[in-house]
Amino acid sequence: MIEFDHVTRTYGPKTAVSDLTLAIPRGELFALLGPNGAGKTTTIKMLVGLLRPSRGAVRVSGFDLVKDARSAHLHVGYVPDEPMLYEKLTGREFLWFIADMFGMPRHLATKRIAAEIEHFELGDFADDLAESYSLGMRQRLVFAASLLHDPDVLVLDEPMVGLDPRSVRIVKDLLAARTREGMTVFMSTHTLAMAEEMADRMGIMVRGQLRFLGTVEELREQMAIETTSLEQLYLELTNPRAARPSGEPP
Amino acid sequence: MSPMSDQPTGSTAQSCRLLSIDEESRLFLRLRAQVAWSSLWSMLSSARLRLSLVILLSAMFWGSLYGLFVEAFTFLDSLHAEVISLLFNAFFSSLMVMLVFSTGILLYSGLYCSPEARLLMTLPVREETIFAHKFQEAIWFASWGFILLGSPMLVAYGVVRHSPWTYFALLLPFMVSFVVIPSTIGSICCMAMVAWMPRLRVHALTACLVTMCGLGLWLAWTSLSSVKADSMSAAWFEQTFSRLAITEQKLLPSWWLSSGLIEAARVGKNPGESWAALGEAVSFLALLVANGMLLQLVAGWLAARAYRLGYSELVGEVPARRQRPIGWFDQMLMNAGSAAGRPLRLLVVKDLRLFRRDISQWSQFVIFFGLLGLYFFNARSFNYNNAYASMIGFLNLAVVGLILSTFTTRFVFPMISLEGRRFWILGLLPLHRDQIVWSKFLFSFLGGLLPCCGLVLLSDVMLGLPRRAIVIHEICCVVLCMGLSGIAVGLGAKMPDLRESSPAKISSGFGGTLSLVVSSFFIILVVVTAALPTHLFLATHAFGADAFARGDWLAWAGSTQGLLASLSAVVTLGFLATFVPLVLGLRAFRQLEP
Repeated sequence: MIEFDHVTRTYGPKTAVSDLTLAIPRGELFALLGPNGAGKTTTIKMLVGLLRPSRGAVRVSGFDLVKDARSAHLHVGYVPDEPMLYEKLTGREFLWFIADMFGMPRHLATKRIAAEIEHFELGDFADDLAESYSLGMRQRLVFAASLLHDPDVLVLDEPMVGLDPRSVRIVKDLLAARTREGMTVFMSTHTLAMAEEMADRMGIMVRGQLRFLGTVEELREQMAIETTSLEQLYLELTNPRAARPSGEPP
Repeated sequence: MSPMSDQPTGSTAQSCRLLSIDEESRLFLRLRAQVAWSSLWSMLSSARLRLSLVILLSAMFWGSLYGLFVEAFTFLDSLHAEVISLLFNAFFSSLMVMLVFSTGILLYSGLYCSPEARLLMTLPVREETIFAHKFQEAIWFASWGFILLGSPMLVAYGVVRHSPWTYFALLLPFMVSFVVIPSTIGSICCMAMVAWMPRLRVHALTACLVTMCGLGLWLAWTSLSSVKADSMSAAWFEQTFSRLAITEQKLLPSWWLSSGLIEAARVGKNPGESWAALGEAVSFLALLVANGMLLQLVAGWLAARAYRLGYSELVGEVPARRQRPIGWFDQMLMNAGSAAGRPLRLLVVKDLRLFRRDISQWSQFVIFFGLLGLYFFNARSFNYNNAYASMIGFLNLAVVGLILSTFTTRFVFPMISLEGRRFWILGLLPLHRDQIVWSKFLFSFLGGLLPCCGLVLLSDVMLGLPRRAIVIHEICCVVLCMGLSGIAVGLGAKMPDLRESSPAKISSGFGGTLSLVVSSFFIILVVVTAALPTHLFLATHAFGADAFARGDWLAWAGSTQGLLASLSAVVTLGFLATFVPLVLGLRAFRQLEP
């Protein structure tokens, strides 16, 4: 579903992402972790077509994000860390705009919009202008919009920012259900507990390189230290003065 | 699934498809209509006063311009017919250059820096459709000034020339088709520059701007400084306009527009001649439309190839890190005075730094005051006589005040609202809230004082005014700086908009509009109060004490006592305009709950 094929992205002399090769199959929830400046945002931007790789290719459902961006976008839903809405549109009007943008048939769009409004509990404010929404309301609306067209791949950048505990639960349940149905989720987060709870696999990026790829159990085995805490493992791995994990190429 | 196929497979296949370009265009048109209707409805329901004020002031502005142009065209009609052509060519060609730059800059911000563009780039929409959507916005913002300024001029021209109805019917198509050409050229340059010259972008833009400014200065200087004839005479106009003949190039769209309009306005001696003139006008319109459409095709083609590439280049740019040591001026300001006043001075220095580092603020300041300085510097070449010189001196004072009022409204009025968003920082500091308001006032007052007084002095010296007039103008200028700062800071603190982060939006709200209107009235009041006795004083000296009947109040107003009384009234007005809004603002700000 998602393929990063030897992807490198440079910003002038600085390499933000270096030779990233990664394949995420259908129905997997993948969490990308890493400290600030590790290259997570650059990776996400390349995955949603905002940024072109300097070298290599990014593909979604077989479509290249540079050569065939529109077809690739048809398969992607994206929830950015800073949700953008049209302030002078109501939530319902925004959902219709997105549904129309994806060319959804009228009857299907009507059904899906009603379902997402109910799912994300938007009913109380769906007909108010977005300018009156709180951050949490905005985030829920953007989630609803990103799922309207039932994408093959959902890309989430710090998805839980601004959400209250109830909304977080809704999102978690939804992600679990959708991945079971075959949707691939690519999530960038700093919340280790959520990654541990939800992700099938995780990647840890440090200074543009994927330092670890696998499950939490595999990470424990690889790090060979006596701790069960993901936080401790993560800190060890991302510590610039720490030793390399066993098995990592020099 | 075949990656070559244009339609999706999997779960997405059942729910969506790629839109045709017509469908995309219709969708964006509907979006624009929805947003426009919603904005209008919000304004009608919550900002009726502001809307009425905007409509009223625009109508007044339009009407005044129309009256002015009717007078001007009636006068020019007596001159050689080619003068009108030169006037139109000079006006439209300079407008063309301005439109190239303004649309380019607006499109840059809309296409590459707006959150909306970031959203649209992640949706399955064509790049050329996004370009068209943002281009419509840019062209509207870039050209509404032309419509407001150009329409009274062109309507007045048609009325004075007793043009047929077809001229008035063709006005809008002519204006719209003309505006599209420079705007599209600006857009093409913008997209090409971002995509293929990312490193050169800033330097290229700066070089272009500097060249254009230099060219403008040179043109203004050569056109005005070396004219030998008496100012405002027919010969003076002819000499001046002959220097602007450079704008009459047949390959320029401005020439097509002015020629088309002149032909459309022409009344033939017989029906055949009138039809021929109309045919000429329509062929010029067709030329504009055809070129506009061709350029739109080029821009669309370029957008499809360069927009996403440019966007990626821009997102990938890392802002250069610069060490910013504390400047000697900031250091001096921070350490000058008592320890008790230090927090106030620190706040002023903070605002000064923000001003210096915000190019949009100081560049507008430099451009507007620079242009005024250029005009004042050339004032001597107009050879005004004494009666005119005094009046022009006061008009120049009013212009300086009006320019300052636009700055205080645009940049000073939103300062308190913007502090509201950072209130957690200031609120935790050992500061009294009053000090925040006072610091804004001091920043605005002291910041405006030097350039404004300097400009007024330049104007007076160039006009050759006597020392007494210079002193009066300088006192008025200080009063204007003080009052305008008081109005902007006081009303800004009284009516803050703590939710808005854009200073442009804050200043265009009700509070900002009110601040601008009050400021304008204050300027008129100050200038009229000072100007009237000065002129009566000059008249008394020119025509002797018998100019007015003994005991007449006009005679008293024109005496030294009258002059002193008017100055006292000006100073009182200044104190009222400064302290009434400030006291209201301070009270409101003390009780503010962010």
